[in-house]
Amino acid sequence: MSRYAVNSLLYRLKKDRAFRERFLADTAGALAGLDLSEEERAAFLARDMARINALGGYLHLVMSIPGLAVHITHPERE
Amino acid sequence: MGKIVFAAAMSHVLDPQYYQDACGLSGRRKVEACMAEIRTMGDRFLARRPDALVVVADDHINAFSFNAVPAMCVRIGRHVERMNQEEAESFDRALEGMPERYALHEDLAARILEEGLGAGFDLAQSWEAPIDHAFLSPVMTMHGSRPVTPLVPIWVNCFIAPQPTPARCFALGQHIARVVARSPWAVGIIGTGGLSHFPELLVPRVGEADTVFDRKLVHWMETGEHEPLQTLTSTELHKTGEHEFLNWMVVLGAITPAPGDLRYFGELGRINLAAFEWRLA
Repeated sequence: MSRYAVNSLLYRLKKDRAFRERFLADTAGALAGLDLSEEERAAFLARDMARINALGGYLHLVMSIPGLAVHITHPERE
Repeated sequence: MGKIVFAAAMSHVLDPQYYQDACGLSGRRKVEACMAEIRTMGDRFLARRPDALVVVADDHINAFSFNAVPAMCVRIGRHVERMNQEEAESFDRALEGMPERYALHEDLAARILEEGLGAGFDLAQSWEAPIDHAFLSPVMTMHGSRPVTPLVPIWVNCFIAPQPTPARCFALGQHIARVVARSPWAVGIIGTGGLSHFPELLVPRVGEADTVFDRKLVHWMETGEHEPLQTLTSTELHKTGEHEFLNWMVVLGAITPAPGDLRYFGELGRINLAAFEWRLA
């Protein structure tokens, strides 16, 4: 697991709008050269935030990246 | 001689729309009830004519990147800006509509930092880090439309392992109390976040809260039994979703051995919302 590579990428996706747009337009290209395992790269290619979290991505990042965040709802019974 | 005139802790996403989106109308109603209590806590705080408000909260990987993650950090300088997140989602939206800039209590922050280093607390310092909802949601709920008391923001690293221990956070609170006692100021202190939510910080566990553990913490706080709180471990806090209780531990150290009162406790699957206020002599 590349804890730093996964989380610094998540952080950049949240804070750097231009990079986020590049990632959305060409995900494989945006990931090129990053020190990710095959599993991690596959999870980012699939934009699977739950999987990225399971691989070590911090919860608050995967829940708040604009356009990519995982939204978990659990309505309570009235 | 200075004095801590108000001490409290409370949940920090005080945003009815966030909880309605996550939990339905029940979520909205519960956070509104929690906010109503926090407003009355703000009334009591302001009635004591405070000079400063120390706010102990965590960073949600907003102010600090992976460039450096301080265990504990004091915000110094004259002003602090609120975080500005483009296209904000989820809890980041709680900041929307709040003022951009807030006055700091420069002298109290400097004393906590400088005297801390002198006393063995190697606190980090920041002139630039912005503050997110963990600070501003409680501060703005307490103040409403009234002028905001000069702030002393203090970050505790609650999420990026390894975190400071609960006992060390308690000791930081004791240090803050000593600094305040030597100062000329009337000071409030709040710790924010919690109670139990997001155990182990895993997506499949979002929606679980450990109410039994929360009740145990609340009992110890109500009765002023602070020794067992100091033996809590980071592992326990991680497994029970009590990461942000580290912020509460700082307040506990600042006011020990004062007992306190639970002002609000609302169980939601998402989180157990809470507001607590200590009884100060």
